[in-house]
Amino acid sequence: VSTPPRAQQLRLRENQLFLILTIVIGVLAGLAAVLFTVAIEQTSHRLFGLDPSRLRLFAVPPLVSVLTGLLLAKVFPDVRGSGVPQTEAAYHLARGAIPAHVPIGKFITGVLCIGSGHSMGREGPSVQIGAGLASLIGRWLRLSPQRVRDLVPVGAAGALAAAFNTPVAAVLFALEEIIGDMNAALLGSTVVASVAAVIVERSILGNEPLFHVPTYRLMHPAELAAYAALGVLGGVVSLVFCKGLLALRGLFSRLPHRTKVFQPAIGGLVIGGMLVYSPAIMGVGYEYVDQALNGGMLLKTMAILCVLKLAATVMSYASGNAGGIFAPSLYIGAMAGGAVGMVVHRIAPFPTGEPGAYALVGMGTLFAGIIRAPMTSVFMIFEITQDYQILVPLMVANMLSFAISRRYQPVPVYHALLHQDGVHLPSPVTQAPMSVRTARHLMWTDNVPFISPDLSVEHARQWAREHDAPAYLVGTRDRLEGSVTRRQLEQWYESGKAADPIVALLGDSFVHVHPDHPIDVVLERLSRSGGMLPVVSRTEAHRLEGVITPDSLLTFEHRPLAGEI
Amino acid sequence: LPPNGTVERAALIHREILQLAVLILVAIGAFLLTRAVAASNRDTNARDAAEWYRRGQQAMATGHVNDAIDSLRRATTKDGSDTRYMLALARALAVEGDADGARSVLVTLRESAPEDAAVNLQLAQLAAAQADVTEALRFYHNALDARWPVQEAGARREVHLELIRFLLTQEQAGRALSELLALSADLPDDAPLRLEVAQLFAKAGDNRHALEQFQEVLGLAPENGDALAGAGQAAFQLGEYPLAHTYLRRAPTEKDDVKNTREIVDLLLTHDPLAARLGSAERRRRLEGDFSYAQQRLSACLEQRPAGSSSDVVSGLQSEARTFEDQLKSPSALEQDTVEAGIDLITRIEHVVVQQCGPPTALDRALGLIGRQHGAEPR
Repeated sequence: VSTPPRAQQLRLRENQLFLILTIVIGVLAGLAAVLFTVAIEQTSHRLFGLDPSRLRLFAVPPLVSVLTGLLLAKVFPDVRGSGVPQTEAAYHLARGAIPAHVPIGKFITGVLCIGSGHSMGREGPSVQIGAGLASLIGRWLRLSPQRVRDLVPVGAAGALAAAFNTPVAAVLFALEEIIGDMNAALLGSTVVASVAAVIVERSILGNEPLFHVPTYRLMHPAELAAYAALGVLGGVVSLVFCKGLLALRGLFSRLPHRTKVFQPAIGGLVIGGMLVYSPAIMGVGYEYVDQALNGGMLLKTMAILCVLKLAATVMSYASGNAGGIFAPSLYIGAMAGGAVGMVVHRIAPFPTGEPGAYALVGMGTLFAGIIRAPMTSVFMIFEITQDYQILVPLMVANMLSFAISRRYQPVPVYHALLHQDGVHLPSPVTQAPMSVRTARHLMWTDNVPFISPDLSVEHARQWAREHDAPAYLVGTRDRLEGSVTRRQLEQWYESGKAADPIVALLGDSFVHVHPDHPIDVVLERLSRSGGMLPVVSRTEAHRLEGVITPDSLLTFEHRPLAGEI
Repeated sequence: LPPNGTVERAALIHREILQLAVLILVAIGAFLLTRAVAASNRDTNARDAAEWYRRGQQAMATGHVNDAIDSLRRATTKDGSDTRYMLALARALAVEGDADGARSVLVTLRESAPEDAAVNLQLAQLAAAQADVTEALRFYHNALDARWPVQEAGARREVHLELIRFLLTQEQAGRALSELLALSADLPDDAPLRLEVAQLFAKAGDNRHALEQFQEVLGLAPENGDALAGAGQAAFQLGEYPLAHTYLRRAPTEKDDVKNTREIVDLLLTHDPLAARLGSAERRRRLEGDFSYAQQRLSACLEQRPAGSSSDVVSGLQSEARTFEDQLKSPSALEQDTVEAGIDLITRIEHVVVQQCGPPTALDRALGLIGRQHGAEPR
């Protein structure tokens, strides 16, 4: 028997190791997710007791947020929010490297934030914890960077499968959201991890479903129109949620840096006030989703809870607490759907299903509109109901919600949140294949002229006359504020803004590319840049890597790519 | 792998095996830890659920149904595995009038325990409250077909009786009868139970089975007043007047219907000209007496009516009565044909009198029944 070649031996050994690791990571991620869930319940029980007084409802969130604010500002600065965007960033931009303190910090702060009543979900943090554990194990075993990167969605899928008890939806979420490619080669690994996690979760928590869902029936074909209306409403509510979240988070991020430690407590104070009015918006809130699904709520109650939960989640998240938006989107969707279902039930001239069926579709609708993972949404609801009949109305409502949300909020909320933190993920449209030349090959890095951001328009105009160029960069190499053209300078000068500092006149965003953008993207953006296209880092969008001008294209010297002869 | 040397390769493989072993040990440890924490959490939730259940029951007892619903919902959220909490919640929702909510809770519960008698029973009661016979029947049967512990056979029978009572209120006598027949096939020697079954048979219109059951009761409790009255009434309905007389004679007369029936039966037995073992004098006396009464009733009836309003039927009856009066005086008056013709005429007169001149007296009813018993039909 001939010995296989050395490269084959290597691959075989790493593949076998990867398979075993996939199972182990699935188990560990599942256990972490279960422990996270249980810890949140216990913390909530300890903090609020069986029947909390109004004072306790009001005081607990801000007081605990003081502690979490300290932890989030001083000890675990990169575990605020959901964890899904951070996991995506780690997968796409850091070769899957997630520091060891991240899963630990996420666990502690997540338990404290959600357990103390903040209106946030446990799934997003579970994803980050699972992915963090996977990354940690991969690096401890000294796997290749590519393999470490591959383990991140595996851990994420395992954790999500255990947190939500929906293994198929977890796999799809890992592919659709984390990897961003439904045809990813990691399908098998995520499935294995997901199954392992669910087995562990069920062996500990039992086979009790997350929601008790009544049997679904489409009573009349005209009901599809009602579901379509729900889809439109879901799209609008998703937009309100995303826009509100981004706006309020932007507001918090513009506050002085020293206030960062207190920001979660500000959120806690508002949440405390809201809890006094309606304790039903506390924490994850799946028990109320269950009630809405089973027709146990009045129309008015559901409408109020829909609005309050949306506002509370936006406040909790934007103020920098640790927790996700996965569960709140389902909650808001269930309330909106249930309310629509009740109205339809009362006024429709044809027989209609129970309001619970609308609540169920509403959950998927909001998930599709906010999280923007329509396939995950459809399969998640299907896994919960295990009923084929719900697929048609679900798909109708989901697609409408998804389309409306995408039309008016082109950047998905997770990516938009990363944008606010200066992290730009590669999109499938602009991602370059390995063999294509990119901005990295065209840019030049030396002798880049900068205009100081504090310079007045008048001085900048004078400076520009001495330095002939179509456009100029404003800021420094480490803190690029934007770019300005000569024409813009002239216009500002003529409109009486000669004394204004340039930085005050620049917009929030500026045209740029990242080093991995392919040439066609570079050309399109160069035409919009005024002649000076900055190339910035993906992980720090204000750090300049180089610039591209029309001259760069003319003087581009052909250099062979790696592996090219 | 290092480029050369089996020693380095072996060391690397050993390291990886060791690392994997550590990982597996960590996973086992984490599993045990998580399981212990989850078990503790489950206990906490179970305790909380029990407390909420207690509060819910207390609120129900004091009539604070909304508070009870809130508490019971919390109990079901904390511990969804205890069906008592869900059942109590469904009951509270039903009391509050939220039938849809109650049904939803029960349907959910039924999905996990489709053969649970209590769940099916509550669903049946909800359907019954909404007069949905089909659904009620389905769930009642599901409840009855569920596995009942031997010691709860009585409770199962009570469910069966509840179904029968519901069917009778919905005027589903046929269905009620088939349920009664099924139930009566396996009844213990329990006088109150058999009495209820007998009364339900009577209500469903099956006097034969009702009489049998009443007789069973009397076998167990000979002086049971309700059974005596019921048996008397059933026998009366079956036309077994001597038997009815036997029972009604012993039955307490507090109830008007028993008193009235007994009076009619007494009259029936003392006025029937065709009764067995009668002497000719007695037979003639009864026929003459009955006929005379019928004539008086007819005359009184005619006097009540405004002049000129009497119909051809009444005039015809008057004329027939006069003719029959003559026949009664002849020696052939005691012949079978004459007696039967007399009963037929009396029956027709009674029918017209009752129809046109007010409520019947006990004797009117008795004479009508005598006529019916002997095949006389009002024309």
